[in-house]
Amino acid sequence: MSKELIRLRDLTMEFDGERILDGINLYINDHEFLTLLGPSGCGKTTTLRIIGGFLTPTSGTVTFDGQCINDVPPYERQINTVFQRYALFPHLNVFDNIAFGLRVAKLPKEEINQRVQEMLEIVSLKGYGHRRIQSLSGGQQQRVAIARALVNRPKVLLLDEPLGALDLRLRKDMQIELKRIQQAMGITFVYVTHDQEEALSMSDTVVVMDKGRIQQIGKPEDIYNEPKNAFVADFIGESNILDGVMLEDYKVRFFGRIFQCVDKGFAPNESVDVVIRPEDIDIVAPDQGHLVGTVTSVTFKGLNYDIIVEFKGFKWLIQTTDHCAEGSTIGIRLNPEDIHIMKKSEYSGMFGDYSSYSAEYDELTEDAGDEEE
Amino acid sequence: MKKANRIITVLMFIFLYIPMVVLIVASFNTGKDITQFEGFTLKQYSELFRDEDLLGLLGNSILIALLSTAISVTFGTLAAVGIHRLKPKMRKLVMSLTNIPMTNPDIVTGVSLSLLFVFVGTGLLGNRESLNFGTLLIAHVTFGLPYVILNVSPKLQQMNPALTDAAMDLGCTPVQAFFKVIIHEIMPGIIAGGIMAFTMSLDDFVISYFVTGSDFVTLPVEIYTYTKKPIQPKVYAMFTLLFLLIAVLMVGMNLLQIRADRKKGSKRPESRSWQIAKRCIAGALAVALIVGCGFLFFGNRQEKIVLNVKNWGMNMADGTDETLDIVAAFEEKYPNIKVNMSYYESNEALFSQLSNGGITVDVIIPSDYMIDRMIQENMLEKLNYDNIPNFEYVDEQFKNPSYDPKNEYSVPYTWGTVGILYNSKYVSEEDVTGWELLWNEKYAGKILMIDNSRDAMGIAQYLLGYDVNTVDKAELQACADKLAQQRPLVQQYVMDQIYSTMENEEAWIAAYYAGDCMLMMENNPDLQFYLPEHQGFNLFTDAMCIPTCCKEKEAAELFINFLCDPEISGANMDYICYASPISEAKEYMEEYLAESEIIYPAEEVLAKGSAYRYLSEETSRFVEGLYQNATKTVDTSGSDNGWIVPAVLIVVMAGTLVLLFVTRKRRKV
Repeated sequence: MSKELIRLRDLTMEFDGERILDGINLYINDHEFLTLLGPSGCGKTTTLRIIGGFLTPTSGTVTFDGQCINDVPPYERQINTVFQRYALFPHLNVFDNIAFGLRVAKLPKEEINQRVQEMLEIVSLKGYGHRRIQSLSGGQQQRVAIARALVNRPKVLLLDEPLGALDLRLRKDMQIELKRIQQAMGITFVYVTHDQEEALSMSDTVVVMDKGRIQQIGKPEDIYNEPKNAFVADFIGESNILDGVMLEDYKVRFFGRIFQCVDKGFAPNESVDVVIRPEDIDIVAPDQGHLVGTVTSVTFKGLNYDIIVEFKGFKWLIQTTDHCAEGSTIGIRLNPEDIHIMKKSEYSGMFGDYSSYSAEYDELTEDAGDEEE
Repeated sequence: MKKANRIITVLMFIFLYIPMVVLIVASFNTGKDITQFEGFTLKQYSELFRDEDLLGLLGNSILIALLSTAISVTFGTLAAVGIHRLKPKMRKLVMSLTNIPMTNPDIVTGVSLSLLFVFVGTGLLGNRESLNFGTLLIAHVTFGLPYVILNVSPKLQQMNPALTDAAMDLGCTPVQAFFKVIIHEIMPGIIAGGIMAFTMSLDDFVISYFVTGSDFVTLPVEIYTYTKKPIQPKVYAMFTLLFLLIAVLMVGMNLLQIRADRKKGSKRPESRSWQIAKRCIAGALAVALIVGCGFLFFGNRQEKIVLNVKNWGMNMADGTDETLDIVAAFEEKYPNIKVNMSYYESNEALFSQLSNGGITVDVIIPSDYMIDRMIQENMLEKLNYDNIPNFEYVDEQFKNPSYDPKNEYSVPYTWGTVGILYNSKYVSEEDVTGWELLWNEKYAGKILMIDNSRDAMGIAQYLLGYDVNTVDKAELQACADKLAQQRPLVQQYVMDQIYSTMENEEAWIAAYYAGDCMLMMENNPDLQFYLPEHQGFNLFTDAMCIPTCCKEKEAAELFINFLCDPEISGANMDYICYASPISEAKEYMEEYLAESEIIYPAEEVLAKGSAYRYLSEETSRFVEGLYQNATKTVDTSGSDNGWIVPAVLIVVMAGTLVLLFVTRKRRKV
């Protein structure tokens, strides 16, 4: 693996006595695509702004290439940023926006010209140099913002919800585009988003944050498959989270039944959270199921149906390609590898119950995320 | 509804712009009378551009406006940026504090600034001339700043705060970020604030009046002292040009705004020619500013001695109506001296200006009793008569006057009498027997009384046979009673309005100064002048003095000496129509003036006149109070119909409002 570039040590940040960051420890490797993922107000943007130099942490250190850069102002850091809503300079055209940093650095005119043209090509905006910023679409503005940052050849590029203002289609295209650019230029990306899908599909490493603390660091697959607590399990994808008791290694009891599982290392009879992903659940005939429940709602999602099934007063979300009628009784089977066991945490009992589930729920939370400052 | 709105809009525009239209029309009028348009001419404009004084004043105003705007814009913008970085609560507080000076009455700002400047300049720094160009500039910056802050702040609020971060992220230091990015974002606010500060500065009178020294006078302050003179048509021409300048500025700004708005939507890049034009405008402004500053620092630093003279309005021949331009003649004779004239409208106004301090004045021409007072209050310098050899021409009877018994402080300038002017067409000769004519009930409603306490009380004193300088309260009370008794007969208490009223025969009898009566008699041959010699009358003298706040005493004495030259004095009297205390001057005066008994009464008549002395401050106030009580509750409703126009306006407005209300109601139904 490549070498470590940035390290955050015991970072805390307070505004007006309110603790925004609470003991952040993190290292970022060279060439890595690292994503800070979390809901609004989790401290991810604050962390990014500390790395960029726009904020000074209340305590803790930021080291870059082994040197503490707490007191280095943003204009002296080898770091560039793509801002939320781009922050392009409205009084300059596309070319001048991209050339801005190079001109401040007083590079020769020839070189500026060549590097800007090169950048325009990379972000597929060749021939747009003379255009005014206001005449560009959102996606084009986004690419100018990326070009303006990358043209300075920074060691690290910080991206603060760069795709938040784009529509879904464009967002998907840009995700691929960003990943391509990152790989082509070999630059470290630190990416902030509240969109878990974006985080999973682009990142080498995902850092899940909440309440100013890091909840879990890991590869996307690990984060998804092995969430550390109820918050991560719920925030990354959908999860049914149940109270259970770990009887011994590989044996867990919930809903009055003992299931085989693949987890171990818990104390005998320890209370645990049991995670079952909705897409892992097999629907079978009632008489063949481990559990039997009643379908209370069915929503067609295109690729699959989201159905809510009530088991003994507890509602589960199950994703299935088979249609089940509302009100019908179904059975389910759980394989050992479908069951993931987590230690109890402060988040236990807060997530994973679909009693109040509605189809619009997803979209509401996404909108709220946009308002993060 | 739409129609009503349109009508109101049109009415509003008429209401707003009619005065300007009248002014513009007047500026092209051949005749001097604004009530009659006699023909189209550009003469006023050509005269304007030949009038160096007027243009100089305009230049002063524009210079101060440009400089104060430049300073206001610079510091206002910086202040706005600073305020913007405060926490919201603090920001609100600071913003409302910066807005207060804008809503503060100008007069309060003016007086407090004046106090401050005199306190710091004279009190702390010991600089007698504490009011000068610098203080005027500071004052203009004081009221310009809030406008800039007010206009720039919202632009900063609207600006995407990430722009600053973005600039710093791309390598700018905070200062670079400001100049490369922020300033472009807030430029419309800076320009709007700058234009407001500029126009406010250009037309400010009230504040400037209090803080201006005598070395640098702006146009509005000067124009105000013209109240004694009729405003010349070339001033209309200048106002028209000023109005057009401001209009062009405003329209230009709006066009720029529209352009900017349109540009945001267009895909066209900024055209090359527009970029060049922008640079040219910026360059022109910069050059104008530099030239202005240069003019200020080098133009004003001539080797010339500046002599500051304060005089009554229209009290020295200035070259109009084929008279001698005395100042020009003096400057020609003494090329190293530049005379700077300013004016006061009453002895009391002059007194308060001098006692407030902070200004430099070298020569003043107050009246006798005021000189008395100023001597008592140590406000005058003793004159060096070696520098005033022409003093020998002054007639013996005007030397060692009662107000300056040793003749140490003053050199008489003019003298005159107060008498009765009447219209022989209406007033029978047998009634003209003395001051009692002003109390004659036969002429009730046709009598004008002089409107100042000293002269009015004086007339009563002569009539009742008291000493004119009495301080006996019973006697003074009797005089006041006498004036109160006259009140029902009096048409108006007047000063300058006497001219038109008497010439047009709206009134028949008045008490006034002989010289002015002489001028009115030229315009209406039926007017006669009468001096009640058997009862006594006021013999007044205006004399030249040097106040203690003078700076160029020798030049001042040269100037006084120059005015005592019989030839100069004679030429001067041709213009001001008073009597010269220098008999030899008569040789150089127009004959009809020199031989007029009104202006030069016989010596035995003169002996009956008496001069006012300065009464103590307490007595002066007592007299003023008596006079006000005796005269000022006159019911003037008969001649006062000034309420008609506002009343009509209110009715029209109320009517349109009702109309609006009704039409709207009907629509809803």
